[in-house]
Amino acid sequence: MIVCVAVVGQQNNPLYIQSFTNGDDTLKFHYIVHCSLDVIDEKVSNPKKLGVSLNETFLGLLYPTEDYKVFGYLSNTKIKFILVTTDQDLRDADVRNIFRRFHAAYVDAASNPFHVPGKRITSPAFAERVSSIVKSFGAAPVP
Amino acid sequence: MPPNSRPGDAVFASVDRVNAELFTLTYGAIVRQLLTDFEEVDEVNKQLDTMGYNIGIRLIDDFLAKANITRCSDFRETAETIVKVGFKMFLGVTGTVANWNTDNTECSLILDDNPLVDFVELPETCQGLYYCNILCGVIRGALEMVSMRTEVKFVKDVLRGDDVFEIRLKLLEQVPEEYPYKDDE
Amino acid sequence: MAREVAESCIDSINLELVHTYATRLHPTKPELAARRIEAIGFQVGLQLAERYTKERPRFGDHLEAIKFICKDFWAEVFKKQIDNLKTNHRGVFVLQDNRFRWLTRFSLDAPTSGNGTSSSEANQANSARASQAAGQYLYFPCGLIRGALTNFGVPCAVSAEVSALPACSFIVRIKG
Repeated sequence: MIVCVAVVGQQNNPLYIQSFTNGDDTLKFHYIVHCSLDVIDEKVSNPKKLGVSLNETFLGLLYPTEDYKVFGYLSNTKIKFILVTTDQDLRDADVRNIFRRFHAAYVDAASNPFHVPGKRITSPAFAERVSSIVKSFGAAPVP
Repeated sequence: MPPNSRPGDAVFASVDRVNAELFTLTYGAIVRQLLTDFEEVDEVNKQLDTMGYNIGIRLIDDFLAKANITRCSDFRETAETIVKVGFKMFLGVTGTVANWNTDNTECSLILDDNPLVDFVELPETCQGLYYCNILCGVIRGALEMVSMRTEVKFVKDVLRGDDVFEIRLKLLEQVPEEYPYKDDE
Repeated sequence: MAREVAESCIDSINLELVHTYATRLHPTKPELAARRIEAIGFQVGLQLAERYTKERPRFGDHLEAIKFICKDFWAEVFKKQIDNLKTNHRGVFVLQDNRFRWLTRFSLDAPTSGNGTSSSEANQANSARASQAAGQYLYFPCGLIRGALTNFGVPCAVSAEVSALPACSFIVRIKG
């Protein structure tokens, strides 16, 4: 299950962060997302050492915590996408697919002429699309 | 279907076409720049209408030639031609005509959708904006070149929460056309 | 399937954009008009950069980003690639388009020497005028390039030069 998604801008400024749990985990997820930014920076500056193929948008597993797995994705325009999940066995292809759809939703939100680059995404259409992506993931059977 | 023209689908298939993205984003960026320059939404509505008018007076010849339109016999046919051939040829969408008044001088052009508004969500601060107002100007400009003086304005807008786009089209005056040559008897 | 519009929509909106800012709103302030039109192009460039690179690996360096502009980006927007890319290896790149799509209609307005009386001087004056008019239509594409490169993390200034219509060059100066 995806418990949190985040979009972070070029200056590490948060553009969107949303948790999908019943509890009040906001602070905890903010902290996890914040920590993952450093991991992304490190992966991008030392791709070989950390086993990421050069310049691929999908950055794979950023780090596991006791309860969660955190995945990252970095676009050509230096926008970071972060997923926090509770699943232990995830197929790489499924995670990539989620990121691709998540990225596409962001691209459309950024195409709104009234969206200000670098500012938080307030679009209800974006929020709806992200939440439906998250739900579809939860519904898929995990092999 | 308007009788005196090629069908809209055929016309659209025959013109040079491009991916709508560039057009959609360019129009959006213009609207946003105008909002920055003028601040007042009413003034932006007016500017968009003026831009459309200037486009309409230039576009009409291209339209008549490509759609192979000789003339429309009356205003009802003109309205049908706009939504079935005009919108299709340029924007790739067709609309419908509805809500005629009794003396056939006023009607509504209805569009479910149009490429100008892809990706667009209006912020709270733009409540009075008719985002697609350029379309009113285009219609007004084009019709003026075929001797019809009209008033054209939006009354419904999907971006404002309405179910469709509705443009109210009112014929103010029809100047009798003087043809440079007589039709064959 | 991707939605399409008639190409004349693009032509019309570009013509009218220049007319609105350069002739109607700021007739006595050409620099201001140029800045406004460039800003509009910049926003579109930012957005297109995002859209056109959705499914591709990140660029390794500035040159890769500029090559992307010359090939894929140009092909998407103008249906052809840049004909020639030159650099001084110190942060200046010249992108030359021998037949820039939005200027192709200007070649029709170029002086015709059909009556045999027109001097080469008059021809030169005419073509200078045509180049100047054409220049107004390049503010927007300059903004497009600057917007796209900025979004790829390549801060730069972009200007344009019209040589012989419809050929033109875009000069990209990388900052910093």
